[in-house]
Amino acid sequence: MRSFQTHIALVFVAVILLTILIMGVTSYYLSRESVQANAESYTTELVKQVNKNIESYVNGMLYMSDLVANNRTVIDYLSASSFPSPDEEKKLKGTVTDFLESMLVSRTDIASVNLIGNGDKLLTGRQDLIWNPYIDLRSMKWYQDAVAAHGANVISSSHVQPIFKDRYPWVVSLSRELIAPDGRSLGVFLVDLNFSVMNDILKDIKLGHRGYVFIVDQNGRIVYHPQQQLIYSNLKSERIGEVLKARNGTFVSDEGDDSRMYTVRDSDFGWKIVGVSYVNELAQNSDNLKVGFLVLGLACVALAAVIAVFLAQRVSRPIRQLEKHMKEVERGNFDIHVQVPRTIEIGRLARAFNLMVGKIKELMNQVIHDQEQKRQSEINALQAQINPHFLYNTLDSIVWMAESNKNREVIAMTSALAKLFRASISKGEELVPLRNEIEHIANYLRIQQMRYSDKLDYSIDIGDSAMHYYTIKVILQPIVENAIYHGIKKKKGMGFITIASEETENELLLRVEDNGIGMDEETLKGLLRPNAGRKDGKGVGVRNVHERLQLYFGVPYGLVYSSRPGEGTKVTLRLPKITDRNDSGE
Amino acid sequence: MIASRLRTIVLVVISAFLLVLLGGYLVDRFSKPDRLDIQVIIKSTDDSVEFWQVMMDGIEVAANEFGPSVAITGSRSEADIDGQIALVEDAIEKKPDAIILAANDIDRLVPVVEKGESRGIRFFIVDSGIDSDVPESVIATDNIKAGEAAGTEMLRHLEGTGKVAILNFVGTAASLIDRDRGVRSVLEGKPGIELMDTFDAAGSLSNAYEIAKRVLSEHPDVRGIVGLNEPTTVGAARAIKELGLAGQVKLIGFDSSVNEIKLLEEEVMQATIIQKPFQMGYLSIKTAVEALGGASVPRVIDTGSLVITKRNMYEEENQKLLFPFYDR
Repeated sequence: MRSFQTHIALVFVAVILLTILIMGVTSYYLSRESVQANAESYTTELVKQVNKNIESYVNGMLYMSDLVANNRTVIDYLSASSFPSPDEEKKLKGTVTDFLESMLVSRTDIASVNLIGNGDKLLTGRQDLIWNPYIDLRSMKWYQDAVAAHGANVISSSHVQPIFKDRYPWVVSLSRELIAPDGRSLGVFLVDLNFSVMNDILKDIKLGHRGYVFIVDQNGRIVYHPQQQLIYSNLKSERIGEVLKARNGTFVSDEGDDSRMYTVRDSDFGWKIVGVSYVNELAQNSDNLKVGFLVLGLACVALAAVIAVFLAQRVSRPIRQLEKHMKEVERGNFDIHVQVPRTIEIGRLARAFNLMVGKIKELMNQVIHDQEQKRQSEINALQAQINPHFLYNTLDSIVWMAESNKNREVIAMTSALAKLFRASISKGEELVPLRNEIEHIANYLRIQQMRYSDKLDYSIDIGDSAMHYYTIKVILQPIVENAIYHGIKKKKGMGFITIASEETENELLLRVEDNGIGMDEETLKGLLRPNAGRKDGKGVGVRNVHERLQLYFGVPYGLVYSSRPGEGTKVTLRLPKITDRNDSGE
Repeated sequence: MIASRLRTIVLVVISAFLLVLLGGYLVDRFSKPDRLDIQVIIKSTDDSVEFWQVMMDGIEVAANEFGPSVAITGSRSEADIDGQIALVEDAIEKKPDAIILAANDIDRLVPVVEKGESRGIRFFIVDSGIDSDVPESVIATDNIKAGEAAGTEMLRHLEGTGKVAILNFVGTAASLIDRDRGVRSVLEGKPGIELMDTFDAAGSLSNAYEIAKRVLSEHPDVRGIVGLNEPTTVGAARAIKELGLAGQVKLIGFDSSVNEIKLLEEEVMQATIIQKPFQMGYLSIKTAVEALGGASVPRVIDTGSLVITKRNMYEEENQKLLFPFYDR
């Protein structure tokens, strides 16, 4: 058994839990997908940007290469096999050098711009530098590559450029053989890009926590790698082969926990920009996501639980209030009025409860009142039963008969009196069999007849079947007494009283008739009215019988008088048919 | 009624309790397990010495990759032994998980290292060790092998008979002692070669220069000099050039620098034995992290050495070693 409040709270929590679960799981999967998609597209975008950046530098060099290759002065100078005069040569050389120098203006990304012509035609835009005497320029790789490419631009991998004295910068070289219109080789143009420019672009790029970007050239040589040293010493390896095979796209190396996702992008000039991110970091993101959702979900559930308990308490409070009041009523306190709450249903319940308690209270008072009346009328009945006047008169009669030596009469009267009293003993029971009542009234009438032998006669005619019905006691005596004292005694001549019974389907009717003086209509009306005609005690006993019958058996029962002055009176007692003492007939 | 209410309260309390528990667990998880604290003490943080700068670069890369918090300190000069002892003392006070040490002195660092060990700090050696079993692993060039390589190169370049001098920088540094031993093991007893005593430059390039000049002047039959590290080699080269003996007196050096590159180009120096400081730095952190994580690590890790001559100096693989591109 659960309380209403717990029930509501549990239902709330269950519903919220379900909702949160569904929403949480759905949004977790959606978010995870979008996180991974984001990571991938972020890497792709980043690699694209790096590519664009680097291409812009390379394009700068290509532009310089085109400028030089198409410059007449340069071609003239390089193709001249002899000069009119040393001054002329110096002047032309100066012009070309100035031209090279002008290309370097405000270009910190370019380390040097040089022309290596035939013979001793060595020109550089960096006038502040001196050629390294120990280096054979024409044996350098970039020179050889340029010659092999026959006028095409060649972009080297990153390397140390030792051509100037005391200088060993890391550069990326663009070299191009310059070819005269007649097809002769005029030498090689060389422009060096400071590798630090690329290093600066690339070194701070982090993909996730450990991811990075590296560059390889078309031959698989590493142009840039943040951990190049580790690769040369075989402490690390990259999937260069797969990278070279992959065009723009993504693949994942299968290295267990250290699996890496490679995002490859081809640049215009043969390099491949590669973004490397660690797969387990992506997974870690989704782990964090999972934990985040879990925490949020649990927090929501906890909050919901608290709110649910609070709400449940609020909702069930009026009911608990009502319950408390009911307990009070159970304990017997009917002076209770429940405040009617605003909730419609509970309000109705409270109103009904209030009504019910009111009704019960009323009925209780009624019962108490009725009980009191019953007691009173019983006392009255008892008084009627042992009427001292009657007893005195009877004893007086006995004394008188004894004095006259009428022994037989004394015996008869005394034994009748004894029987009368025996019949009225009922061990405190309210209901007595009709037989008792009849025996009682028979003895009473016998005594009265002996007293008024010249004036009173009677007959009792009760069917055997009626004898075993139950009735309250002392209902006939007051009526008979009334008939004798107010009807027959005042009449001249012989009075006669008949007591008979009649049974209908549900009722037992007892009839007491006399041929006394009767009464007028007004007396008749006042006879059974409460508190009427009390002055002389007349009718008190009769009304008491009527009231007691009604109290015991309800309204349809009681006395019915019919009478006409001079013709006698007829009284009918209506009783229910009660065959069992416990069945009070109500 | 009362029972159900009690149950509701219990329910709320339990869920609150669980929430707190979960929160605690997550805070624990997100604040991450305490990062390992590793103190690195190198011989010198002088930024004109490329060797240590490159090693620091390797340390940094490894720190990023393996996640410990790393602090690098070093004495002013490689001969400053007291300064280094003080640095180790300071490092011990910081109660790190491990100290990686490149010792300036094979003997004098021992007591302070043992003191650190007694406080539960674990020691690793990079580059140059101490005479003690406390360090769990030594990540260094096998200097005896490197010395042998230098001796072999000297043997290859020597023409005719004559004396060979060896210039040491700091006679108490383990790495240099081993190189000396290596060189001697190859040259000793070879016909036509007379090995002179090892000269100690006491931690300065100018001392090395003076010593070389004196030796060359006093012993005209000296045919070869081995400089056991970069400053001694450069000092000796300066003396050789000054005396006009370039090419006649063969010079075999150690390590690399712009000066040494030039000496190779000028053919004043015939070969240099280079180490791999980046690998040393990287592997020292990696090894320390692994050991702290409970893995068993080798007692000695040889990061290798390489003979560089004028012929192979611009080869792709060697460029990165000779011309380290590090972040200053």
